[in-house]
Amino acid sequence: MRTPLRPLPRILEARARGENPDAIERENLRLRRESQRDRSRQRAEGRLTVLGMFFVCAFLLIGFRMGALAASEPEEPRLLASASSISATRADIVDRNGRVLATNLATHSLYAHPQDMVDPERAARELGRIFPDMDAEALLRRFTDGRKFMWIKKTISPEQRQAVHDIGEPGLLFGPREMRLYPNGRLAAHILGGASFGREGVHSAEVIGVAGIEKALDERLRDPAHAHEPLRLSIDLTVQSAMRRVLEGGMKLMNAKGAAAVLIEVDTGQIVSMMSLPDFDPNDRPRPLTAGDAGDSPLFNRAVQGVYELGSAMKIVTVAQAMEAGLVNPSTTIETKGPLTWGRFRIRDFRNYGPELSVTNVVVKSSNIGTARIAMMIGAERQRAFLDSLGLLQPTPVELIEAAGAAPLLPPRWSEISTMTISYGHGLSISPLHLAAAYASLLNGGTRVTPTLLAQDAPDPGPRVVSETVSEAAASMLRQVVVRGTASFGEVEGYEVGGKTGTADKPKPSGGYYDEKVIATFASVFPASDPKYVLVLSLDEPEETSGEEPRRTAGWTAVPVAAEVIRRVAPLLGLRPAVEQDGETLLSRASN
Amino acid sequence: MSYLEYTVATVPSGARKILYMNWPIVILLVTVACTGFLMLYSVAGGSMQPWAEPQMKRFLLGLLVMFVVAMVPIWFWRNVSALAYLVSLTLLLAVEFFGVTGMGAQRWIDLGFFRLQPSELAKITLVMLLAAYYDWLPVERVSRPLWVLLPITIILVPTAIVLQQPDLGTALLLLAGGGIVMFLAGVSWLYFGAVAAAAGGLVYTVLASRGTPWQLLKDYQFRRIDTFLDPASDPLGSGYHITQSKIALGSGGLTGRGFMQGTQSRLNFLPEKHTDFIFTTLAEEFGFIGSLSLLSLYGLIIVFCITSALAMRDRFSALLTLGVGATLFLYFAINMSMVMGLAPVVGVPLPLVSYGGSAMLVLMAAFGLVQSAHVHRPRGR
Repeated sequence: MRTPLRPLPRILEARARGENPDAIERENLRLRRESQRDRSRQRAEGRLTVLGMFFVCAFLLIGFRMGALAASEPEEPRLLASASSISATRADIVDRNGRVLATNLATHSLYAHPQDMVDPERAARELGRIFPDMDAEALLRRFTDGRKFMWIKKTISPEQRQAVHDIGEPGLLFGPREMRLYPNGRLAAHILGGASFGREGVHSAEVIGVAGIEKALDERLRDPAHAHEPLRLSIDLTVQSAMRRVLEGGMKLMNAKGAAAVLIEVDTGQIVSMMSLPDFDPNDRPRPLTAGDAGDSPLFNRAVQGVYELGSAMKIVTVAQAMEAGLVNPSTTIETKGPLTWGRFRIRDFRNYGPELSVTNVVVKSSNIGTARIAMMIGAERQRAFLDSLGLLQPTPVELIEAAGAAPLLPPRWSEISTMTISYGHGLSISPLHLAAAYASLLNGGTRVTPTLLAQDAPDPGPRVVSETVSEAAASMLRQVVVRGTASFGEVEGYEVGGKTGTADKPKPSGGYYDEKVIATFASVFPASDPKYVLVLSLDEPEETSGEEPRRTAGWTAVPVAAEVIRRVAPLLGLRPAVEQDGETLLSRASN
Repeated sequence: MSYLEYTVATVPSGARKILYMNWPIVILLVTVACTGFLMLYSVAGGSMQPWAEPQMKRFLLGLLVMFVVAMVPIWFWRNVSALAYLVSLTLLLAVEFFGVTGMGAQRWIDLGFFRLQPSELAKITLVMLLAAYYDWLPVERVSRPLWVLLPITIILVPTAIVLQQPDLGTALLLLAGGGIVMFLAGVSWLYFGAVAAAAGGLVYTVLASRGTPWQLLKDYQFRRIDTFLDPASDPLGSGYHITQSKIALGSGGLTGRGFMQGTQSRLNFLPEKHTDFIFTTLAEEFGFIGSLSLLSLYGLIIVFCITSALAMRDRFSALLTLGVGATLFLYFAINMSMVMGLAPVVGVPLPLVSYGGSAMLVLMAAFGLVQSAHVHRPRGR
């Protein structure tokens, strides 16, 4: 309720008294202002009290929080929350006896937070000294271009870590890092392939397979459920080591530019040893070639990826099929008068073997004409079906990422002439592993084997491809090739080596064949009387120069190397040398 | 009542003004700043460089500024407050065009010898202008809608500019600082109720806008909110700051590890250890007792501001003194809350302790105003 500034009764009263009525107004105005000011002051003080209480509450809250935190146990942040998104676990790989082929090594990664650096110049200089492969100036440029994070080294050794630590630069930081380690170096390079880092964090990094079995079975190796369960391979490290030594020596001796070998158990298809030379160190995998022939790269696995016409080694396949079909038996006479003309093609033999040979001798002497005539009896369709049943028309199912890409090269049209050339190993390009698996299937009693790198205790036998009789006869023929045929250098006393040579001209990339470049292959089985192992050994462009003229045929090149391999490896495989007492009579019975 | 009604004769003049300054506040400010020097010395690993020494120089400059501002009569500052506000607005706009981008936001004007952060300046000039406005406005009009709209505009213009730099922390400080001055000036409760309701609605809208094309905050700001609500969700990412500072506080315990013995901060676990998160170093090295002491120092400064304001007769001086005190309060309360996980990480420095030039100089100038109001208040009778 406001008091009027000029209350009429008082004005009138003042006027009656002769005073100035304005004084009353002034007085009232002053009173009103004062009361207003008091009210506003009261209100302001009320507001201030509210604010003050709010402040006090905030102080108490903060103070209590301080007390609560000070009383709390310091608790390290849970690293798992973010580390779990990058799983660094990867199972080991071991050989059939449990020896380590691939494992993980805890190292450290080195990275930088350049904005935290006290002296980037010194840090760059010192790093350049510790890691001679790093350029100090380039490092300094990267330290000072404003980035907040950079990797310096993915993996460093403990000594290097100490040295970097000793720089004392707070902007240089380490993170734990598991790296893949192949303790045997080059020994099983193509089988293992290699690994590199996938997603990388400073606390861990993903190790992913980039080639070989590491890539093919990447899922299995990274599966956390199997992380502590090593992957057991069928490889025998001892055999692999012995074979590599012999093969490397043989390759040099025969002046070959490459070599491949596959040793496979005939009953199970387990690969005991497999290699390709030249090879590489999977710990330091070279970069793929950007120019030239990929086949010349050490990364190229000749045993699996190298598909070539493997030549006469195929003849036993043709003969075995003819025997299985009942078309011939080992002593059936085949006409071998040459040359065999078919349309505009002429098939010749290396040497004239006379007008006719027994089937056994067609194999022993390696007669193209004889084999072609046998193939004619079989016919294209049946030949194709039989080769397919041996797995020769599909990529090998072995557990290497490269295998799927190495499909056999088939003739575009499976004509009569194709049938004939394929029968003696031309016109169909397959890898040494294909041939080894086919030999194993033919010679193990006649059941199809699937080549595998995984250790298996008792795989089920595959479907039958030939009868046991045919299998035995084929083994016996192969034995005679060594005893009295083209592979006489293949004899290893006590191990009854049988086998078939194959020498194929290398194709030119432009078409046609080189005259002086061959792939020499020896596909062998031992012991021939009770086949246990098949060894396929192949040399790329060999040249045996001890004679007057360079000799390139498999009998002079691949066979002696293979014999040396068997001599070394057979005892490691636990085979006892057998003394062939009545070998001669056994052979004559088979040849008649 | 305006200063024209003062009995000016009782106001000290000349060098005697120094005697009439609010010396407890000066001593408290120096103590807090010294704590800051110690901490900066410690986080640099026991070195005056690169932080402690420049900070000391700046503080000395700040003290000088405070004394100079304090010597100038408060009525002069009242008369230039509108101008000061306009200048800071101009600088805020200038920073949009000539500013230096730092930490993802445009915040500075490089003056060559000094990097000016106009948003700091704006905090104080805003308080000045609002105080001058309510000094000028007759009390009965304070709650009339039109006369409420004007100060709201005065607050929102710099807030909007700062918000889109983007600097959420400063925007919040401007909003809260201005709001406190309006509250103290006696604006009706109804408006604050309405604003609170609107703020609730806004928060809801902002949160709902996440992931939509019209998203109102940057992704990192949303992540900070997430981290605030659950720091453990991402202890090495956005939650890193908070987790690490909590560890530091926890390992400090009651009495701390001792000067220069802190691990969390000195071993580089914390980025921004010398700026927004310097409190963690203090908490780790001096423990609960040290932290509470710093909090008490700040509290005492506020108390002295309030008692000084109560003795003032004019609204400008009182509102200005309280506004400056409230700004200081907001600074340290938000900073400490943020470090201790009570508030989202918004980038507010710890006043006078965190390394940084603009904030310290502006704060010292603001306390110059408080001193000026204290010195030039009417005495006697």
